Amino acid sequence: MINYHPTEEQLSEFAQGLSSPALALVISAHIDMCGKCQKHVARLESDSAKAVFEDQINIAANQPKEFASMLADITCLPVSESPSATPKESMIELDGRKFAVPRALKRYVDKTGNWSHLLGNLWQAPVDLGPIGKAHFIFMQKNGRVPEHTHRGTELTLVIDGEFSDGISHYDTGDFILMNSDNTHAPHSEASEGCLVFSIVDAPLHFTSGIARLLNPFSHLFF
Amino acid sequence: MLVGIPLQSNNANIPKPKECAQEMSQFLVTVADKRCKRSFAEIFNYFAPRLRSYCLKQTGNEALAMELVQDTMSNVWQKAHLFNADKGSPSTWIFTIARNLRFDMLRKQQNRKEDICSDDLWPILCEHTADANEVTLEEQMTLQQINTMFESLPEKQKVVIEAIYIQGKSQQEVALELDIPLGTVKSRTRLALQRLKELIKDDD
Repeated sequence: MINYHPTEEQLSEFAQGLSSPALALVISAHIDMCGKCQKHVARLESDSAKAVFEDQINIAANQPKEFASMLADITCLPVSESPSATPKESMIELDGRKFAVPRALKRYVDKTGNWSHLLGNLWQAPVDLGPIGKAHFIFMQKNGRVPEHTHRGTELTLVIDGEFSDGISHYDTGDFILMNSDNTHAPHSEASEGCLVFSIVDAPLHFTSGIARLLNPFSHLFF
Repeated sequence: MLVGIPLQSNNANIPKPKECAQEMSQFLVTVADKRCKRSFAEIFNYFAPRLRSYCLKQTGNEALAMELVQDTMSNVWQKAHLFNADKGSPSTWIFTIARNLRFDMLRKQQNRKEDICSDDLWPILCEHTADANEVTLEEQMTLQQINTMFESLPEKQKVVIEAIYIQGKSQQEVALELDIPLGTVKSRTRLALQRLKELIKDDD
């Protein structure tokens, strides 16, 4: 059951097109998994559309000359036949287990690299999002644990499959989590099936507890 | 060519939102069914200027605004058959297309921030958190793994790494303390980090 959603403000900014690209991607994927936010955002989009398009602007005064040639060019374009560019592969695989990814992340399935094993019963596969942030699919095996850390930037996490806890809360499939320098946590999964999450960070983690600080020079290896 | 496609040039009879939605829905259906350029021109004339002003407000950039209009209206022309009036109004449909294209645009625009996966990350000043007395069993397992990794280093490297990464000393301080050249501290650090990296990331 999904308990953690983006805030009202985040959803509203998303609907209006004002979110950062990384946040927009994770919110969009959350919406794919969460009927409640889906309905809510549809309402917000309809409100934004009204605000943008029912503006009684003075068309004659505002219309650039290029519109005429633009219109002519567009109507020469062929119809796009495919409903939308549906990627062939929409599952990611780890050790023979297949996981369905939400619609918004499908375009990144074939930009996902190989899994590598990290200490703490963790697996991660890098996802090439381009310059918007470092993204990974992360799999915590049963008892998998990320040492306690805080964040030097923003860490966005979406639970794709399974459950995990981090000393702050317990999260289930579909939950949306935003962490920053105000939060210190130690994610771990006790679920027998483990837990798969998608995560984007814009700066490396900072490990905080005792000997785990030794990991700080390698924080870039941890998502 | 522009033949047969009237470009609305006056602002007379701006339609009211409600009837506008019905009218625009109808135009979209006609575009989808008959590739009707005249219907598309009606849609274009209504939405293009408003889209431009939306994007101008957000970016203040005329070229970006025109690009967004072009991309959005191209999508409308090419994908009119995907419009479903039961799912929402033409405004919402077109707005959502524009909004998503805007996100794509932002994604491409965003300059590569400083490379956040740089191998040269230097230790940040250590914070003091409650110490490892209260850690749970599973956490101890991870910490134990880290400890084992650390213990497996040659003694000389271990001393340097502990001073720098756990006690937070500078390389210069360590050199003075151990009475060894700075270059030696650097090479021991480098070798130890290489080894630790392999241990953390055991590919299998």
